[in-house]
Parts: sequence; structure tokens; C-alpha cells
Amino acid sequence: MQLLIEELDGDVTKVILDGRMDITGAQNVDLKMNVIAGSKKYVVIDAQKLAFLGSMGLRTIVTVARTVKSRGGKIAMFGANQDVEKVLKMSGVNTLLPIVQDFQSAIALMQ
Amino acid sequence: MTANCAVQTSKDQLIVPSDLDKLTQVLPWVERMACAHAIPAHTQFAMNLCLEEILSNIIRYGYSNEPGHSITVRYSTISKDDFLLVIEDHAPPFNPLTEPLLPIEETLEGKREGGLGIRLFRSFAGNAKYESMPGGNRLSIRFLGTYPAPGEPIA
Repeated sequence: MQLLIEELDGDVTKVILDGRMDITGAQNVDLKMNVIAGSKKYVVIDAQKLAFLGSMGLRTIVTVARTVKSRGGKIAMFGANQDVEKVLKMSGVNTLLPIVQDFQSAIALMQ
Repeated sequence: MTANCAVQTSKDQLIVPSDLDKLTQVLPWVERMACAHAIPAHTQFAMNLCLEEILSNIIRYGYSNEPGHSITVRYSTISKDDFLLVIEDHAPPFNPLTEPLLPIEETLEGKREGGLGIRLFRSFAGNAKYESMPGGNRLSIRFLGTYPAPGEPIA
């Protein structure tokens, strides 16, 4: 599981999740995700390369979303495959952060 | 998800020790089953998800993270597009099919721990049956290989 960060215009941070966010994968990115949650205001999560998402990974995403929003920021996710999207919807996480199809839609939510 | 079909096996049983770090065995085993039995990608995802949530639950709560226990997972094909996983443990009785789910808002707001994994398991397990066994539990999960076409809504 890899996590890459790109700083974009408008104080937006793109977080690219690449791999499997299972128990091991979530542990691998937890620290980086917490740093992002505590320091970035506008966060777009790129889930195009996210192959798997389990409950441990969900907890990491929920924590980031809650922290960013509590600091007055905004967060959205885009590009999730059909299975990952089902996980997000069944868990109700889509009520915490918008899940959209593409990058442009996610950026539009940062305005 | 691309299965690694280079390694074939006829062993349709996996024994997992009561150690969360050993759950890394599950993915390659499911991939081998997928190669050997032509399991579709969406079904593999559902199998991996259910196994991760159920096995981690057994290790954490059933075995209280104590080493020295094990969980047995067996795979079998019922028919084309109909696959079965049977999970057996020696933990105290626990039925994940009837366990009350926490309100989703409480789970997400972090007010109470737990419940998310069981909720996901129930969403992805096509058809499951629980049996309390002498000295343990048996959970049988059937997965149907059919899945909505791209663009169709999923439940």
C-alpha cells in the first residue's frame, strides 16, 4: 500500500491511495494520513488505484474526513472502483465525504 | 484485481493462526482458488472482504488475541457462479448474522467502537449460515458470481 501526495493550486492536496487498504495497508498509511488530516485544509483523495478497502482502511478515511472537516476544511474522494464504492456506501462513509466519479468533480467541491 | 495464476494448487483449505499479521496469507490463497476455479473478480473482492472482517473478528474477540489458536477456511464450488467458503473456529459461540449492528452514525462518529466490519461482511456475503458447533463455530458463506453490469446500480 502506497500513499502519494501532490500539492495543487488553491491550497488543495491530492492524496493518491495505491494498493490494498486492508489491515496491513491501513497500518502502513495511518501515520501519513493523520499528518494530512492535521495540516491540510482542502483534500482530494484519488482512489483510482485503490484495489481493496476493508473496515480498518475505512476507519482511517473516516478519521481523516472528520479531522479535516472539524478544522473547517473540505474533503472528497474520486475514482473508486465499483467494489470500493460499494464498501463506502454500505458503511455510510459517503455521508461523511462526497464520493464522486472524477477529479474535476472532486476539485469543484473544494470551492 | 488480477489473480496470480502462476502458482496453482489443489489445496482448497487454509489454516490461519490466531495472529492478525498472518492474515496476509488470505489474499494469495483466495487468488489461488480464483485461478483454479474461475472465480470472478467481484466475487474475489467479496471473499477477501468477508474473510478479513470475519477472521480478524475471531482473532480479536473470539480468541482475545491469544496465540496458539487457529481458524480453518475451506473453499468449494457449488456450481458455476456459486461458490462456498466455510469458516470454523474454536472460540466461544458468536453469531455474526444476528449480532445487533450499531447505528451507523454512532460508528462513524467514533462514539462506540466496532460494528463496521460485521456490517460490511453482511453487505458482501451473498447468503450465509451460522452453526454453533461443539467447542466452536461454523460460518458458511455462499457467493454468487453474478454481478451488476458496469453502470448498473449495486445494492
